[in-house]
Amino acid sequence: MLLPFQRGPFRGRTSVSLTLISRFVEEYRSSTPNKLKVIDAYLLYILLTGVFQFLYCVLVGTFPFNSFLSGFIACVGSFILAVCLRIQINPQNKRDFLTVSPERAFADFLFAHTVLHLVVVNFVG
Amino acid sequence: QAPLFHLLVLSMVLETQALTPTHHLTTTDVARLQAVLSQPFTDLKSAYYSVVGLSKLGILVADADETCQFIKSNLDPSSVESLFYAAEASQALSGCEIPVSNDTRDLLLATVSEDSTASQIHQSVSALSSLGLPLASQEVVSALKARISKEDNVLTIILALQTASRLSQQAELGDILEEIEDLAARLDDLSGVYLQFEEGLETTALFVSAAYALSDHVDMEPPLKEDQVIQLVNSIFSKKSWDSLSEAFSVASAAESLSNNRFHVPVIVSAQGPAAISHSQPFLRLQVTDVLCQPLSSASVLVESASTSSSKSAILSQAPFTLRDEVFELNFMASQPASGYYQFSVAIAGDSRFVANHVELKVKVSTRVAINNMDLSVVDKDQSTGPKTTRVEYPTKAKAPFMADSHQNFAMAFQLVDETTGVELTPHQTFVRLHNQKTGQEVVFVAEPDSKNLYKFELDTTERKTEFDSISGTYALYLMMGDATLENPILWNVADVVLKFLDEEAPSTIQAKTLYTPKPEIQHLFREPEKKPPTVVSNAFTALVLSPFLLLLILWVKLGANISNFTLSPSTFLFHIGHAAMLGLMYVYWTHLNMFQTMKYLAIIGSLTFLAGNRMLAQKAVKRYTHKAGPQTKKLSKEPLAPISKNLFFLGATE
Repeated sequence: MLLPFQRGPFRGRTSVSLTLISRFVEEYRSSTPNKLKVIDAYLLYILLTGVFQFLYCVLVGTFPFNSFLSGFIACVGSFILAVCLRIQINPQNKRDFLTVSPERAFADFLFAHTVLHLVVVNFVG
Repeated sequence: QAPLFHLLVLSMVLETQALTPTHHLTTTDVARLQAVLSQPFTDLKSAYYSVVGLSKLGILVADADETCQFIKSNLDPSSVESLFYAAEASQALSGCEIPVSNDTRDLLLATVSEDSTASQIHQSVSALSSLGLPLASQEVVSALKARISKEDNVLTIILALQTASRLSQQAELGDILEEIEDLAARLDDLSGVYLQFEEGLETTALFVSAAYALSDHVDMEPPLKEDQVIQLVNSIFSKKSWDSLSEAFSVASAAESLSNNRFHVPVIVSAQGPAAISHSQPFLRLQVTDVLCQPLSSASVLVESASTSSSKSAILSQAPFTLRDEVFELNFMASQPASGYYQFSVAIAGDSRFVANHVELKVKVSTRVAINNMDLSVVDKDQSTGPKTTRVEYPTKAKAPFMADSHQNFAMAFQLVDETTGVELTPHQTFVRLHNQKTGQEVVFVAEPDSKNLYKFELDTTERKTEFDSISGTYALYLMMGDATLENPILWNVADVVLKFLDEEAPSTIQAKTLYTPKPEIQHLFREPEKKPPTVVSNAFTALVLSPFLLLLILWVKLGANISNFTLSPSTFLFHIGHAAMLGLMYVYWTHLNMFQTMKYLAIIGSLTFLAGNRMLAQKAVKRYTHKAGPQTKKLSKEPLAPISKNLFFLGATE
């Protein structure tokens, strides 16, 4: 009988990846706090928005190129800022961010977003 | 080496020619000068300029008595200047005596001192001298020397020179005489033609008259070279109308001193009329005058050499001019010169004082031309038949017109000779003009002489058809001739020529050149705007891009995100309102504002939001800490699982 942590005699690569992915998803669902999941949902949203903009550019054309750039950079910038926020808020990383409280991280997030918005709106035309 | 050096020096000497005056006063200029000086005078100063100026030109004032009365009535015996003007003016008039009192004399003598200006010294010394009063020359000299050492300007020295010329000859004037040379060194040389002081014409003229006055007085030649004298003449007499009475006076005074001094007398040589000689006018007439246009009768004028401009062979040598009615003339035609230009080198002798007495003149000899042996012929190209020559005599026209078509050439031959001497001539312009009377078209050819000076002209109809535009018809043939040395230029309608061209493709009217008609308008093409994709596509993609937002909302709802922790405090409200306002500002920035306005509003709203947010987050932090102190179960349950999940993840990765 196979125990959960014992290796079997023969497993294909794909099945291993599938097991890996399902394990990862399971872990994610159970162990990540809700706050972080909220931010992850936001990240997914930003990602999809960026992807769709890029898709338009590829399919139709780069006509108002400055608009495309500004929109794309907005997505990229927002993604990065949100990731930063997620890292700083994560309680597991508390040791790395002793001086930064979650509130401080959020305030930084907002300030950085203000600057990003200013630049994006200037460039969108 | 030595011969080469000598050759170099010799060539340099030969190259430098003596200067001759380029500007001088003509008789009209002298008359104008006289008119300026004859204007009715308003005060004593203008009376002085007029009377003394006219006397320098050798003209006596018309009503001497009235002038004398005017001077006497305007005299102010307490002013040195007034006494000077009165004394000098009365001296120029005959029989005009100014009464002098002891006070006047004392005043004048007292002015002669180191403390007075050079002008005052000059005026008092001149007044004393003109009024016949005694003065101490040595005192004057020492005063002048002191004055010159104090004020080194040009006018002071000129006045000193002028004053010294009125002193007795026994006085030591050597130092003052040396000033002439120093002053001459201060003259500005303008391109080798003019020599003048930077102070202007009047100063230069006054310098000339003062220098010569003093030199004559001490009988020593002034240290001015001949070329310098001529340059001074050019400067002073280049201006033919004078701004003020004092300027006119200075010019008159300079002219008088240059025509009457003992050392240098510039000579002005000018041809009477154009320097052109012909059979009708065989005499070359020269006027030899001094600067005041007074003829120098004592002079003897000699042609040193006369040669043609091109060959330089001398036609005349050492031929004298004869004086007749104050004009020197020479019968040049007697030497039978050929027509053309001649270079004359004329020397004026008779007085050792003459300056610029070698003159170079360019003389033109003109003649009349005659056309001989004008032969017109029509020659067959293949020369099957002999040429038919017709001789035409000037100024008649050939009776019958000549026919020339493509098989024939039209030829013309003639000779041009001098009417009197029979020498062959080659004028500058010999043209043959063919004029079509119907269309008005004309074609001009040049007739050229061959080696024997026989002019030939040939017209080949096929060769020249482009010039004629292949238009057949009757052309009038003209011979045009001209030259600077010809007295009778010629325009002679010799004959009529009928030309026949092969291809009659000529247009009926000649097109005027369309060079100056308006050109077609250029339409400006604006840059085409880029092609936009169809609205449907854009709209579809806009919807697609906005769709993840819906997904986000769904996910958030599913995760259970809520605003249950919303604290009701003013800072919270303010923060959220401020934040919303900032986002709203972004939208307004996109539509209406520019960066500067946005930054301004952002600063205001941003600082408010920051303060409110800071407050709100601080409250939240406090709340979190107090909450943390209480329930810890949530956190603890999560902790042990974390390292296990990490191990699993690593295991998975290695497999």
